[in-house]
Amino acid sequence: MNDVMQYAIVGLATGCIYALTASGLVVTYTTSGIFNFAHGAIGMVMAFTYWELTVDRGLPEWLGLIIVLGVLAPALGFLLERLLMRRLHGATVSTQLVVTLGVLLALIGLASIRWSPTEPRVLPQFFEGHQVGILGVNVTYHQLVMVGVAILVAAFLRLLFYRTRLGIAMRAVVDDPELASLNGADPDRVSAASWAIGAQLAALAGILLAPLVTLDIILLTLLVINGYAAAMVGRLRSLPLTFAGGLALGLAEAYTIKFLPTDMVSKVRPALPIIFLYVVLLILPQARLRAGRLVTTRRVPKVASGRESLLGSGALILVALVAAQFLSGSWLTVASAGMVWALIMLSLVLLVGYAGQVSLAQMTFVGLGAFAMGKFFGGGSLLGIVAAALIAGTVGAIAALPALRLTGLYLGLSTLAFAQAMTVMFFKDERVFGYGGRLAVNRPSILGMSFESDKSFFVLVCVVFALAAMGVLALRRGRFGRKIVAMKDSPAACATLGLNLTFTKLSVFALSSALAGVAGCFYGALRGQVGSNDFEMLNSLVVLLLVTISGINTVTGALAGGLTFGMFPKVQGWLPEAIGRNFSYLGAGLGALGVARNPNGWTSDLSPIGDAIRKVLHLDRGDHDDPTSIDLLESSDETQSGEEVRELARTSS
Amino acid sequence: MSVRFGGLLAVDGVHLEAEAGRVTGLIGPNGAGKTTLFNVITGLQAPTEGRIFIGDEDVTNLKPHKRARLRMARTFQRLEVFGSLTARENIMVAAEICNGWSRDRVDPKQVTTAVLERVGLRAVADDPVDAMPTGTARLVELGRALATRPQLLLLDEPGSGLDHNESDVLGDLLLDLAGEGMAVLLVEHDVELVMRVCEDIFVLDFGRLIAQGPPADIQANEAVQAAYLGAENEELVEHEPEEALA
Repeated sequence: MNDVMQYAIVGLATGCIYALTASGLVVTYTTSGIFNFAHGAIGMVMAFTYWELTVDRGLPEWLGLIIVLGVLAPALGFLLERLLMRRLHGATVSTQLVVTLGVLLALIGLASIRWSPTEPRVLPQFFEGHQVGILGVNVTYHQLVMVGVAILVAAFLRLLFYRTRLGIAMRAVVDDPELASLNGADPDRVSAASWAIGAQLAALAGILLAPLVTLDIILLTLLVINGYAAAMVGRLRSLPLTFAGGLALGLAEAYTIKFLPTDMVSKVRPALPIIFLYVVLLILPQARLRAGRLVTTRRVPKVASGRESLLGSGALILVALVAAQFLSGSWLTVASAGMVWALIMLSLVLLVGYAGQVSLAQMTFVGLGAFAMGKFFGGGSLLGIVAAALIAGTVGAIAALPALRLTGLYLGLSTLAFAQAMTVMFFKDERVFGYGGRLAVNRPSILGMSFESDKSFFVLVCVVFALAAMGVLALRRGRFGRKIVAMKDSPAACATLGLNLTFTKLSVFALSSALAGVAGCFYGALRGQVGSNDFEMLNSLVVLLLVTISGINTVTGALAGGLTFGMFPKVQGWLPEAIGRNFSYLGAGLGALGVARNPNGWTSDLSPIGDAIRKVLHLDRGDHDDPTSIDLLESSDETQSGEEVRELARTSS
Repeated sequence: MSVRFGGLLAVDGVHLEAEAGRVTGLIGPNGAGKTTLFNVITGLQAPTEGRIFIGDEDVTNLKPHKRARLRMARTFQRLEVFGSLTARENIMVAAEICNGWSRDRVDPKQVTTAVLERVGLRAVADDPVDAMPTGTARLVELGRALATRPQLLLLDEPGSGLDHNESDVLGDLLLDLAGEGMAVLLVEHDVELVMRVCEDIFVLDFGRLIAQGPPADIQANEAVQAAYLGAENEELVEHEPEEALA
């Protein structure tokens, strides 16, 4: 009995923190319409800052709290809103997602530079060592503080929303920004205030949670996944439900740990938040298809015609053959790795760029591909590649199944949860990658040809990319491509034309995962062996961000993004050690912030070059005969007129 | 049917019918609940009360795409075009989607060419739709709906953004479609167009049906005039400009 109570106290106390985190998410989401994936990272950075001020520099706790909660956290929230989030109004969900994920990775990178992860740090509990007996159970003062703070915050938010001008304006902005601004509320000011409050809540949760777990950058950042689940319970709208969700999750977690056999606990515990998130997503009712969303579309780059993509692919292979003669050593590895990354990113062009679906788990499918290749048919054969495609494709479809009925953001969250779950429960299992967690993957020999040497392997990867690119472009130009682009542009219209959205999404998910699986074969073959660290969720984020930075709507973007990522190890070597070690998070994170400016990526700025080439080669002749022409070097004039249509559509309502 | 949004009764016990072979009008001031009704009929919005039938089939619990497969198509007041595709592709993809679920084996290319011709978009067929003026984009939506060969066609302000001549052409097209046996339900602010093509008109105000009948009766109806004069100035008399706000 005492035990049951003890776990109830632990559960309620952590539940309060989840509620705190989640309410911060809800406040920013409802008032600015942007789901802040960086919420946990903000909490993490603030907890570390608090540690540095109080433990490292010896400031009193109260002063540390005032500086962090009163000044730094709101300032960070305010700046994020001013500099980034404000530009995202009316942007697509995937653009919003990429930018907030960029903030997440950038904060992880910066924190790792400032607070080296190898050094152990301890943040003491509030009133360390003090506890009191309640109903025969020992309750630490820290736990009381957690519960008390959550109650205070709940009361504060209630007062704010119902009793203050700002709060009422916030609610008005949620209901109808246009109408609210007509009545004198300033949506920008409201949004800035909500981000400041959101960051404060994140900081509060981080500071309270850090003493209970270790002060670890990644751990603290990801702990908010539980907060996500609680926020989902409140459907990102209702604060009371969010609080209830947080408490319920805290309790569920505590009791799962209590009643599970001990040998299972260590295995299941890290996956619990994900399981909860999954369950909540499953229970959520189907999102309504909405017509009349105000999405400011930017002109999407033109798609290459069959002839153009054939020429482009040919040129790429030619360049590869020549480059293979000149490259050697580490530069050859850079080039090969770049092409492998490009192949992985190509799978995201299909899924995110064309179909508008979000996946934060692409490296998981790459991992499944590498696994299939290494495990089956001798570890490096053509059949292994086929198996990789089949396994990754099937798992991709199954993984997406529960969330497909939900909209973009929820799909993103569930893939995030899926990636994390696969790392914890599959890739880290010794039976998967074998003893020591490393699985050997051989370079394939195809039709009797061996691609063992670095040069031949590089050329092989280039050929595979060229073929895959042509395939993806052909798909885009064809019936299926039109369908998925239509689905991206207007799901509501597609449904009213009789399209089964779920099935269409499922097919594109399966295709994209299969392609990622194929890429995984080459990923493994390039390195010779793979381990669970290669396929962690954060790596999926880096890949998604990098391809978005260069251009997620185009094959050119994937190629450029891949080569950029391939260069990272080189660049890391040129930088000071601390920065170099965290360069992939930092580079991808900071770069993604630019996506707020141009969602089409920097390669779209090169479109005049593509146009010029087209002109020289007389490729622009046939454009009007072939309505579905695509290009390897796309043109994308971001005309005002696209926005004009939406603008007019809105004013004519 | 009735639809309630929180405390607001957006549609209040409205009974509506659109018969095959004629254009039925649905008019009313802004906020009267016209678009909400369309959303309920097409399944994008669940009614709080009431049932929806297509022919004899009760479709109230069907998903939007299942309803569309009973040969119902619509356009949107706030444009829902496929902005990254050309006009031709917009119509083609609709024809292809329709081929996917229907048993009729027609060539989507031929359907597309015919529809482009019919709605008068041939000249701009290969322009991307997000660069088109709003009136033209509305015609793309109309063409897209026609490409699924509907028997019930719901049009949400197809005439806004069109000039006088274009509006006349649209009217002729609607009469032709009805002449071919299609049931057309038209929400439109261009009163002249409505009076010209509709045989039967339903008038909504604040979610309630305040009048129903042939054009002449509606024009003479005092309740209708009061509703319009209360909301917008002289809407029944003049062409209404694009309003600024929903």
